[in-house]
Amino acid sequence: MASDRSLVVWLLLIALLLLLVINPLARLLWASFEHPDTGAFTLENYAAAYGRWRNVEALINSMIVGLSVAVVCTIFGVPMAWAVSRTDMPAKSLVWAAVLGTFIMPNYLGAVAWILMAGPNAGWLNRIYSALTGASAGPFNVYSMTGLVLVISCYSFPYMFVFTRSALELISSEMEDAASTLGAGALRTTLRVTLPLALPAIMGAFIVVFLEAIALFGSPALIALPARFQVMTTTLWQMFEFPPRVQVAAAYAMPLLLITVFLFWLQYRIIARKGFVALTGKGGERRLMHLGPWRWVMLGYCLLITSLSFFMPMAVILQAAFARAWGRGFSWDNVTLRNLRFVLFDQTATRMATLNTFVYAAAASLIALGLALAIAYIVARRLVPFGRVLTYVAMAPFVIPGIVLAIGFYAAYTAKPLVLYGTAWILILAFATRFLPIAYTNSDAALRSINPELEDAARILGGSRLLALRRVVAPLLQRGLAGAFILVFIPATRELSSAIFLYTTGTQVLSVLLFDKSDEGNFELLSSMGLILVAVTVAMVLLGFRLIGRDFLLRRTAT
Amino acid sequence: MTLSHRSLPAALAILIALALATAGPVLAFDGEAALHEAAKKEKEFTWYTAHYNSETAAALCQGFEKKYPGVKCNYIRTTAQVAYQRLAQDQKAGIAQASVISSTDQSHYTRMKKDGWLQPYKPKNLPELVDAFRAFNDPDDQFVATAAGLVLITYNTSVVSATEAPKKWMDLTDPKWKGKVSIGHPGFSGYVGTWVVEMKKLYGWDFFKKLEQNKPRIGRSINDTVTMLNAKESIVAAGPAATTLESKAKGNPLAVVYPEDGAILMVSASGIVKNAPAPNAARLFIEYLLSREGNEVMVQQYQDPVNKHVKPMAGARPLTDVKTIRPSATEIEKGIPEVKELFRETFGI
Amino acid sequence: MSRLVLTDVSRRFGAVTAVDRFSLILTPGEFVSLLGPSGCGKTTTLRMIAGFLAPSEGTIAMDGRVVSSPGSSLPPEKRNMSMIFQSYAIWPNMTVAENVAFGLEVRRRPKAEIRERVGRILEVVQMGHLASRYPQELSGGQQQRVALARAIVVQPAVLLLDEPLSNLDANLREEMRYEIRRLHDEFHITTVYVTHDQAEAMVASDRIAVMNQGRVEQVDAPRALYARPRTRFVAGFIGRTNLLDGESRGDDVVFDGFTIPRRAFPEPAAIEGRVGFSLRPQSIVLHRQPPPSTRAAVVPGRLVQRAYLGEHWDYTVRPAGTRLALRVTTRPHEVFEVDEKVWLELDPSQMAALQPE
Repeated sequence: MASDRSLVVWLLLIALLLLLVINPLARLLWASFEHPDTGAFTLENYAAAYGRWRNVEALINSMIVGLSVAVVCTIFGVPMAWAVSRTDMPAKSLVWAAVLGTFIMPNYLGAVAWILMAGPNAGWLNRIYSALTGASAGPFNVYSMTGLVLVISCYSFPYMFVFTRSALELISSEMEDAASTLGAGALRTTLRVTLPLALPAIMGAFIVVFLEAIALFGSPALIALPARFQVMTTTLWQMFEFPPRVQVAAAYAMPLLLITVFLFWLQYRIIARKGFVALTGKGGERRLMHLGPWRWVMLGYCLLITSLSFFMPMAVILQAAFARAWGRGFSWDNVTLRNLRFVLFDQTATRMATLNTFVYAAAASLIALGLALAIAYIVARRLVPFGRVLTYVAMAPFVIPGIVLAIGFYAAYTAKPLVLYGTAWILILAFATRFLPIAYTNSDAALRSINPELEDAARILGGSRLLALRRVVAPLLQRGLAGAFILVFIPATRELSSAIFLYTTGTQVLSVLLFDKSDEGNFELLSSMGLILVAVTVAMVLLGFRLIGRDFLLRRTAT
Repeated sequence: MTLSHRSLPAALAILIALALATAGPVLAFDGEAALHEAAKKEKEFTWYTAHYNSETAAALCQGFEKKYPGVKCNYIRTTAQVAYQRLAQDQKAGIAQASVISSTDQSHYTRMKKDGWLQPYKPKNLPELVDAFRAFNDPDDQFVATAAGLVLITYNTSVVSATEAPKKWMDLTDPKWKGKVSIGHPGFSGYVGTWVVEMKKLYGWDFFKKLEQNKPRIGRSINDTVTMLNAKESIVAAGPAATTLESKAKGNPLAVVYPEDGAILMVSASGIVKNAPAPNAARLFIEYLLSREGNEVMVQQYQDPVNKHVKPMAGARPLTDVKTIRPSATEIEKGIPEVKELFRETFGI
Repeated sequence: MSRLVLTDVSRRFGAVTAVDRFSLILTPGEFVSLLGPSGCGKTTTLRMIAGFLAPSEGTIAMDGRVVSSPGSSLPPEKRNMSMIFQSYAIWPNMTVAENVAFGLEVRRRPKAEIRERVGRILEVVQMGHLASRYPQELSGGQQQRVALARAIVVQPAVLLLDEPLSNLDANLREEMRYEIRRLHDEFHITTVYVTHDQAEAMVASDRIAVMNQGRVEQVDAPRALYARPRTRFVAGFIGRTNLLDGESRGDDVVFDGFTIPRRAFPEPAAIEGRVGFSLRPQSIVLHRQPPPSTRAAVVPGRLVQRAYLGEHWDYTVRPAGTRLALRVTTRPHEVFEVDEKVWLELDPSQMAALQPE
């Protein structure tokens, strides 16, 4: 019962939460019904947004992309997770490291690399194919719906991998033993017993991946446009053209919001049947399934996928970053450090953007984590009535595509009274809001792992709640929170879809710089910048490993 | 022949004249020092530009800072559409960020002038401007031409020989280039918009209907064509002379063709933003963009100079030697929004 | 030492009544146990006393001052109480000494005093040599002692214990039972002890409050509770017992298969209509021949089952002509065979009349 002075603190934090999440959403909703010139209530914006078939088509395209990506990610991620978690496949560390590398690489950088690899006329893969088979052209065309789906899937499947793996870790081998004593072979056991037990996690990841895919901006802008189709995010982008029509954009974005809310609700319903995992229990050890010669097949599959997502694109990026003229292809006389030097030392924009990227990401992570922890605490200890509502609010940004959130932030904070536009704060707060759900899920899980009696013991001995938090809870949460920090930090460093609307001169970040470079034909510089982004992020992650241990990325439990 | 005391003064005079002639363009304009002082007080300024590419913008900024120490130049290089968007957002939020705006889309300037976002300034270096370009200046001095470029036919030399290469614009619709030709998008790039308007003027919209049958690769910016050519995704393109030649100088297998029916001459203007935080620095910068030093820098970056006294880079033909065509300012203003729609209908995007 | 008074304390969670009109007065220094099966409301009551929950009805007062009532509840940190939790709640990020010192630090005692008092209490609980260890390095029993030391060193007005021994093994539990009582006697702290284990409660308590489904069934000293249970539940919960139903008819109380004159009972007037009785197995004596009876009732029967437990025999006897199965405990040398005809000697003075349900 919060009858002490700390009530003021809790209320302030709740107010901050509402400001960050509800305010932009409310402004967005308001803007969608607002006439651009007179400010009167109107349905014109919706008519303008959905009256054109082209825009409706873009919505349909987004849905197709989202669904396809989710399916492909399932095909990629589930067998990999199963192989790493439950079998005796060799070289698991390598596969794990490659998945981590994939997670770090921004999807728009991967898209650029893929254009080089699978461009229909001159992509390396096509050239190799032609050389091997004598055909005039290769079959791979990145500039297509298939191409876009594949590229996005490459950078989204880590979610599926991590979710599935976490679930599989909890299943005791006794479940499988029961099947095998009844005569079922390894494959049948896996398909009929093991995987179905992980189904809630897989479905949860399916929905997460779908939502991510329809909200992406970077890859579609690079691939869909030349492929001659639009998706919702690129359409929204064009609505900010000259002259910008925020109101129509807001109206157009609303159904996206509704679709994602529906899916979020669906996910909650499915995951809420926690009995699945609880039943499998933590009792019983986990033994690895022996695959015999098939374990090499599995390894091959895993390496194939991570080649597509990480190894090949990295090779392409490296070649371009160190090339004088990437069009000339790889040769020793084409190697130079000039690009890196220019990017690191001569171009002040890069240095500033790099600094900004990591400072904003760190600040946003701290804010998100601090707020998430406080809200999770308030809810877990029932300090206010209707605590569950706070959970929904904290998780709400999850269902808002980055670009929509940015438009909301733009609408909310470019007009008085609170003008944040033009400052670093609008970016930091937008990032913090965007990643609040991840921070919340992890804070909540970490808090629940602490026995409330540890706090009660401090309180009964005379300490206030805040003292108990400071001396008992916070030290115990360190590990969990450090892991959560990195899980927010990494996506924040490469966040593009919200940054693209909110940055200005002094507040440019690397993702936007990279994106702007992509229409300049200077692939060498672009790759150099991408390399820097990836390298620094890897350094941070390795630092995280040292501080926390190898398992920190597995803290992503289902909601 | 001995040097007699009578020929000495003549020789000296010739020497001095020669020295002056080759000494380089150290010509100050009237009031330069005072403007420099005023700009120094402002310390720095921000420039939103869609002209050139990032390296050229960086080089111009560095050149400016060298010539006028104490004034820092910050550039943001984007496509025209994004540059306008940035300014629009700033204006709506009442934020003073940019001092100079350089868009390649003429219709932007009409709108900006109408919305009152620009302030007038008649540059002292105006006489330095190529005469033909003056037609693109604002009669009320709210914007002035500071950049020029050519859109012409470009190709990849490792795949296409000089004889095979297209010679005029219509050649791009030849079926032999099916799936191999690259263009930009008028919705994103001012250069592309102008090119489309001119093509429509020359050949009617049928040109594009025919072009669509060749399934061109459409990027965002005119500079995307360079990427496509280098990747060999496309092997011919309607591309920018400057960026293509720059890439070629790096060693990439590219070449340009000055079309028989005329290369499109792009003249892009710059304006000083009305609520510029650094109006004096902005004025100084406009002067610099028209000055010989500034144009020397442009030339080093393979851009076409707008200063009549500065010669273009080696390998490029001077604008006066080439057949250029260009829609008028009014044609561009009206035409670009119109062709954007037609483009979307024909190409679906 | 403090006087703790609970008056008609109730607590509801939605439609469920967890605690129903609990009233109790603790004299200063008294050791009272709340005993009952899980779900009976004992932990909820304890948490209300501690201040973690507010009552839905009723008040809790300490030394005359109301600390808990439905409208307001003094927070735990202001009550000067201490609590031992089921999980001990020893903070893993602090050493033993730091754990014990916490309460004193919150009370802003000078460092020298803290050091001295911590050292002393650790000696009392025999943990002095482990002062700089971390909890992960200690056994369950040792952690338990740390919890005790931490709770006692602050000289609380009331000490609360929530099933502190349930995580220990049987031997340790026995040892710690005595330890807790010993510490109580040494420091004279008013103590409320929650447990489901009647042996613990019996050993340590001055009085026991037996709870069932939120209600208090009986509050009494252990001996009285055992010998004179007042309800069926208490009779069955404390030790084992035989439950007999008797009906008052005139001068006799009629049971199934036998009759006992009314005047043989300690309170004959209280027996009206149908009354239940509790008779402990130890109170029945088995004979091979009908014993001479004076005040006792003698009933013939047949031995149905037997079990030898080393310290005693556990017999089940069916009185003749009844469906009853009476449990009888005898000393080890009193051996009877199954199916043997025996005589049961029942002592009415040891038969406790139970309240009607």
